[in-house]
Amino acid sequence: MDPFLDAANLLLPLGYLLAAVAYGLLFFAGHGLARRAATPLLAGTALLHLLFLVGVTLRWGQFPAVTVSQALSVVAFAVAAVYLFVEWHAGERSTGFWLVSLVFAFQLLASLLRTPEPPDREIFHSALFASHVSLALLGYAAFVVAAGYGFLFLELYRELKAGRFSTFYGKLPPLEVLEKMMSGALVVGFAALSGAVAFGVFWAQRSFPDEWLRDPKILFTFATWALYATALLLRRLRRWHGRQTAMASLAGLGAILFSLLAVNLLFSDFHGLL
Amino acid sequence: MTRRRAHRRFPPLVLVGTDHRASPLALRERVAYDAHAAEEMLVHLIARDAVGEACLVSTCNRTEVYAVPRDGTSPLPGEGYRTAVDLVFLARAPEMESEGRLYVKRGEEAARHLLSVAAGLESMVLGEPEILGQVKQAHEMAAAVGAAGPVLGRLLRTAADAGRRARAETGISQGAVSLGYAVAELARNIFSHLGETRILVLGAGETARQVVRSLAERGGGGRLRIANRDPERARRLAEDVGGIEVVPFAERLETTAASDVVVAATSAPEPLLTRDGLASVMARRAGRPLLIVDLGVPRNVEPEAARLGNVFLHAIDALDALIDRNLKTRREAVPRVEEIVEQEVGRFGAWYRGLEAAPLVARLQQRAERIRRSELEAARGRFPAELHDDLDRLTRALVRKILHHPSAGLRSTGDQGELARLDAARELFRLDEDDG
Repeated sequence: MDPFLDAANLLLPLGYLLAAVAYGLLFFAGHGLARRAATPLLAGTALLHLLFLVGVTLRWGQFPAVTVSQALSVVAFAVAAVYLFVEWHAGERSTGFWLVSLVFAFQLLASLLRTPEPPDREIFHSALFASHVSLALLGYAAFVVAAGYGFLFLELYRELKAGRFSTFYGKLPPLEVLEKMMSGALVVGFAALSGAVAFGVFWAQRSFPDEWLRDPKILFTFATWALYATALLLRRLRRWHGRQTAMASLAGLGAILFSLLAVNLLFSDFHGLL
Repeated sequence: MTRRRAHRRFPPLVLVGTDHRASPLALRERVAYDAHAAEEMLVHLIARDAVGEACLVSTCNRTEVYAVPRDGTSPLPGEGYRTAVDLVFLARAPEMESEGRLYVKRGEEAARHLLSVAAGLESMVLGEPEILGQVKQAHEMAAAVGAAGPVLGRLLRTAADAGRRARAETGISQGAVSLGYAVAELARNIFSHLGETRILVLGAGETARQVVRSLAERGGGGRLRIANRDPERARRLAEDVGGIEVVPFAERLETTAASDVVVAATSAPEPLLTRDGLASVMARRAGRPLLIVDLGVPRNVEPEAARLGNVFLHAIDALDALIDRNLKTRREAVPRVEEIVEQEVGRFGAWYRGLEAAPLVARLQQRAERIRRSELEAARGRFPAELHDDLDRLTRALVRKILHHPSAGLRSTGDQGELARLDAARELFRLDEDDG
């Protein structure tokens, strides 16, 4: 099992890089070979990724999200899967380069940060932990997708506003479609993150009644949740429209990256109280 | 005594035509054929002894007749050529006889021209999309009256393939290159359902008319409305184009609030839509974007309105830049489209030459059979009579086995690289020479 996991750890960023290059050639140059190769490359790498995650689960007997590396890898896989679904469902490939590039970045970090042996604690084997972490990572993946569409929305918006018809104009879905995709991803992400926070609070209050509110990870997650809640509320009240929501989704991506990387790496192993 | 048959790489196809480069509009419109007239002309053409197949491509920018001689070997220009010129062109416009009005292409050159036409390379507006449909219509019409035989039928299908590939694989038809289409293209980048967008056109002059026509043709708006200071002029435009609602000019701000796209094309000296007016409009739109295209000179919309959120205001300069960009994209696609045309011309030639494989194989087998019989006859006396049947079976099997692979190889000839086989087989087995 270990040789497979080691090889997959190297091959995954490489596969996603090749897929991103193929989608990039398709987007910027309409390259014929890239047109045929992009989706199979991504789908093949995502399949390998799925096998890798299953392998990690079987190898260590725990949900494969107990380290920063594993969490990043699960997010990368979820974003790739969501993108493949959107491509299959809507026949839309023009956003591939941007989302697959994000997948590559996440998986590259995951592969670089991978440790030979993840920690093994009793809590990692509980269903509560698995539910909490799955929901959190699903939420993060949806927010990454929202940020991808948000970025594309902003770029197309700027080109259309300025009458500068260059990189994005004519190649992307219309602004309204990008906005709907971004909003849909935000709603899914917010629902999942809310569930993760609820599970987490319930579990932490029961296990660490006096300590959990001092955990930087939890505090930062609350801040991230509040950011998305504000964005969705203002959108619901029609005070914010596409542009503001797109900027909030990008800010949210920054918060997620900070939450996954800086907080975990600088302040604690995973959560400080564990 | 041997007879060498001229080996043709392309069918004896002839094209006679005129287009926007060769003839002025006044002359082109005299030799333009509507569907009914084109059908009649095709019937006349194929009724002539010299013409075996014919097809007429007639659009506002070109009239071209493609013909294949009935016996397939007539030297060109010959009777088929004269018939086409006389019937299709000179009978309607004798001035077409002047030098340079008509172009004549033959064989491979004619095939390449039709494929280039279908791919949009010969169009007045490079890559315009309508021509592909017009080539397909020409094919359907020729097929309906029995004028499209195997050669032209195949050529027209190949032309349609080339046109489809050019549009799918390159940017030859990408982007709008006229004002009306540019407005529709801008809207397509903003709104999810172009067919449901509500469009308001301010003005009823020539520019407004051009935009309205393009939008109506393109199905550009779910609801197209027009407002003009002179409502009578607006009504006339609405009647001319059809499917347009005329709204009061004084209510233009209210109508703007209920529209997705506003095209302003009046010569009003003062702005018709001010920043403040549009700010109040946007407050009622709940964030829904508003595309405003200002084609007026002087401007019909205050430029400061561009700073409002979700207002996409473009003046004529921006549209010109968009059209230039699209034309550049199309020009850049030309070399790749030419490659596609060459590939498809090659495929057509390969198909045609492949047609010659079957008679060649038959001839090879006949030649071998004749030799077998002759040699068998000569040797028969040297063998006892009871062995004659065995000898016959044995030699037949030998010949069949020896010729099996060469025959199969010749039959499968079709790709460009393999076509040399046919020529090689002709040379090696001297199949162009008379037997005996």
